[in-house]
Amino acid sequence: MDGKPKVGLVFFPAFDWAIAPDHPEREERLLYTRDQIREEGLLDLPEIEEFRPQLAAVEDIERVHICVPSVAKVCTESHLIAAGGTVRAGQLVTAGKTERAFALLRPPGHHALRIVHGSRGFCTINSEAVLVEYLRKSWGGRLRVAIVDTDAHHADGTQDVYYNDPDILHISIHQDGRTLYPGTGAINELGGPGAYGLTLNLPLPPGSGDPELLYAVEHLVLPVLKDFQPDLVINAAGQDNHFTDPLTNMNVTAQGYARLTELLAPDLVVLEGGYSIEGSLPYVNVGIILALAGLDYTGVLEPELPPELRQERPVREEVVHNVAFLQETWASRKEADLERVFGADEFFRRKRRLYYDTDDIHEMQLEEIKRCGQCSGYRKILSFAERYGRKPVQIAAVLLPWHACATCRHQAQEVYAILVSSTEWDYVYLQNPEDQERPLVTVSNGA
Amino acid sequence: MSYLIGIDVGGTNTNGVLLKEGKILATVKAPTDHQNLHTGTRSAITQLLSDLPGKEPDKVELHLSTTLATNAVVEGKGAPTAVLIIPGPGLRWEEFKLPFKLYPLTGYIDHRGREVKPLDRAELRQQLTAIKEAGYQALAVVGKFSPRNFQHELAIESMIAKDDPQLLPVTLGHRLSGKLNFARRITTAALNASIAKLQAEFVHMVQALKAQYRLGRIYLLKADGGTLALQESINRSIETILSGPAASLMGTMALADGIQDAVALDIGGTTTEISVFAGGEPLAEREGAVIAGFPTLVPAFFSRSIGLGGDSVVTYDGNRVTIGPQREGPPVALGGPRVTPTDAVLVLGGAALGNPQRSFRAIQALGAPFGCAPLRLAEQIVTAFAEKAAQVIKEIYQELNNRPVYTVSQVLTGANFQPQKLIGMGGPAVYFIPKIGQQLGLPYQVLPYHEAANAIGAAASRPTFAITLRSDTALGQLVVPELDYAETIRRPFSFNLEVAREEAIRHVLDYAAEFGVRYEPAEIELTEEEVFNLVRGFHTIGKYYSLRAQVKPKTRSIQLC
Ligand SMILES: [Zn+2]
Ligand SMILES: [Zn+2]
Repeated sequence: MDGKPKVGLVFFPAFDWAIAPDHPEREERLLYTRDQIREEGLLDLPEIEEFRPQLAAVEDIERVHICVPSVAKVCTESHLIAAGGTVRAGQLVTAGKTERAFALLRPPGHHALRIVHGSRGFCTINSEAVLVEYLRKSWGGRLRVAIVDTDAHHADGTQDVYYNDPDILHISIHQDGRTLYPGTGAINELGGPGAYGLTLNLPLPPGSGDPELLYAVEHLVLPVLKDFQPDLVINAAGQDNHFTDPLTNMNVTAQGYARLTELLAPDLVVLEGGYSIEGSLPYVNVGIILALAGLDYTGVLEPELPPELRQERPVREEVVHNVAFLQETWASRKEADLERVFGADEFFRRKRRLYYDTDDIHEMQLEEIKRCGQCSGYRKILSFAERYGRKPVQIAAVLLPWHACATCRHQAQEVYAILVSSTEWDYVYLQNPEDQERPLVTVSNGA
Repeated sequence: MSYLIGIDVGGTNTNGVLLKEGKILATVKAPTDHQNLHTGTRSAITQLLSDLPGKEPDKVELHLSTTLATNAVVEGKGAPTAVLIIPGPGLRWEEFKLPFKLYPLTGYIDHRGREVKPLDRAELRQQLTAIKEAGYQALAVVGKFSPRNFQHELAIESMIAKDDPQLLPVTLGHRLSGKLNFARRITTAALNASIAKLQAEFVHMVQALKAQYRLGRIYLLKADGGTLALQESINRSIETILSGPAASLMGTMALADGIQDAVALDIGGTTTEISVFAGGEPLAEREGAVIAGFPTLVPAFFSRSIGLGGDSVVTYDGNRVTIGPQREGPPVALGGPRVTPTDAVLVLGGAALGNPQRSFRAIQALGAPFGCAPLRLAEQIVTAFAEKAAQVIKEIYQELNNRPVYTVSQVLTGANFQPQKLIGMGGPAVYFIPKIGQQLGLPYQVLPYHEAANAIGAAASRPTFAITLRSDTALGQLVVPELDYAETIRRPFSFNLEVAREEAIRHVLDYAAEFGVRYEPAEIELTEEEVFNLVRGFHTIGKYYSLRAQVKPKTRSIQLC
């Protein structure tokens, strides 16, 4: 064989782990995908090589999340392996071992927000963010990444982590939030004051399929990527917009996914959702692997594929319209009047209610982002979380961004000291992703 | 069963050994006649039996390791073979790089063994006509996911039996392996079909010997070091490929003392073969043997070959010594053209062979331009040899410990493979193994060179047979593809893992009994076990079990006299 394999596959089906025995996120989820990959003999192809995942370290998680009360308390080993396996996939590409990589593993992560009280949307740890922060640390912060999330659900967790980060472009294409969990991802959510326009959301009307998804990639994602010039493109490849998925109302096919992969040519693909474990996942995953390997994927067809989904049809008008809006927004993002969007205060403040469907936790967040001319600004988050039958928890967190200016560093320390001296908080956290050693997150137990 | 003959028909020589209760009574050796493999076998048996003490011998069991299948495959001597495939959707079969003519058929079985699309009999007839017109003499039939549901393959076979019996026998993919891998199954079945006729001729000749010499049961050695009943080898000839290396490894097991976790090096003139023992058993390839560059599903030992041997070419640039991977002839001491590691050993006085003076002068000439004294350079060469072998061994263990795993508990267990001992075989082993052991910090054992080691290995091995049992209580189906066994599960609610295990063991016992071998259930081991809850729409609708069961691999221990 000449040269290195095209695709490194980090496959980890976690055959001994489930959220609950009959939960969609259960042992059986990737069983048929494993069988299909083996029967198709994909691992014998010189273009494809399989690798073993590793466990993520606690500091890899702390570079991204504030876990309440601690990483050890909210993570199981399976979360550390899913995150570590994603990091492994990233290492394969950045170390030049393979041209691209596919982290085909579970559980998923894109609904995990910056603050983690538990599991939401089946996610606890945001694997893509753990990878991005891992690479950013090893590259001394000089890294521009584009994350293109094509899961049917809005990637609200990834959006939350990178909402105000000028080096990370986050594009989410998903079923309209008015019809599906988690409800967010409207077209006017465009990022915080320090990274305006670097969060893009394209909601698709229920019933959308290959034509809409591929149109969005060709007319929105590719031109934006060309303009942004990222060092790395990650596709968070949820497969729940498949026509057989039990949780959503979309019409994407294995051929559509494979074509998307071919068009996007991402450096990394990371599995997110997808719960049609027999009708979709085996075929979609084989399609993605073949497309990444540059092999002919046109023979990958689902047994239940309705003929009408194979026919050409025009793209829905609404999608064409929204793509045009986002193109314009992107092109003019640097001239945007931020005072009009975020106000003229020293701090941009927002107040959110968040719901953890998996663990049934209700959270209220008050967030302040410092508007700083020198850096993207430190953040302060006050979070009140309540789980039925448990004592509610109140925490405060101060987050430094990458490349924080001296003023922000200083002020963040001051704010942290004030919070620590108050008896109001069960835990107070200070997170600095640039710290080379633990603790990346300093915890003070307020009580 | 008291007398046992082991014969290894090797590339150069045919070696035979006669054993009684684990003791070697006699050995013989004759050059191999590649045109008539059975003549060498015959004369070896004649000689061994003539040495037999006493009058009337009891029936003698015969174990044969031959190069027949390997050579037929490697030299492409098999019959021109056509393969009827039922590819269904997926990776395009047109992309397969296989040296067989593929005839695709409509029909589709999915990953759970459900028929999505039936066969088209009219189309099958057309394809068979095309195959006959093209003059193919051998035929295999392989469907995607056929180990999950082999009814299409069986239907095709019975239609051929009815309409085109001259095309029989056909090899059906599911019978050769219960493992998933469509392309490998095509290769395995096609190779099996292509050499079936040669194998049948060979079996006939050996059977003639049976009558002549009052032989008892006759077995052939397989790539996994087990044996296969002679008669059954007509159907599964492909399993006898690579039986030479297997015989060698079984010889190691029989002759070495207390192998648990060890790495074994068979150092030859051109190459070194490296294999691995874990927990006292030789490690197997994950999927199957690779022969002549073709990946198959044939169960085989894990082994890696490196271009490093006693006759490898040595080069020196004044700084680094490089060894191999080519061989350009024997050592200088034996009149060869280039310095070899063996010459270095001779210069250091480690062995007596040929003309060591010539070795000395050649190494002197190699070092002179760089001012390197011959003794120092000879030391450096032996060290380089050991370093290279040690490096490859480390890489192999790294590879083994990085094998993908699919459960959380396996990830947490971490690295499993660690050698505790180094075992050396082959002529040059005695010179290099101590150095390699030093490099790796491992105790070592060099097996005394025994010309009949492979024959001893053949004699020491025992029948092996593995089956796959898969049951899906939601579909109410249980299959054992290797045995054409399919049944409907009548009581899905009382079917559990215990039942599945008992069934799997029973099938192995029954199969062995068919060939006259009786085992106790305790001699059967379960090598793989998977159980999944099948959940649809938040309800458990059944369970899925997948088990592999086999006769525990064992060797007889053999004493050298
Ligand atoms: Zn989703
Ligand atoms: Zn600042």
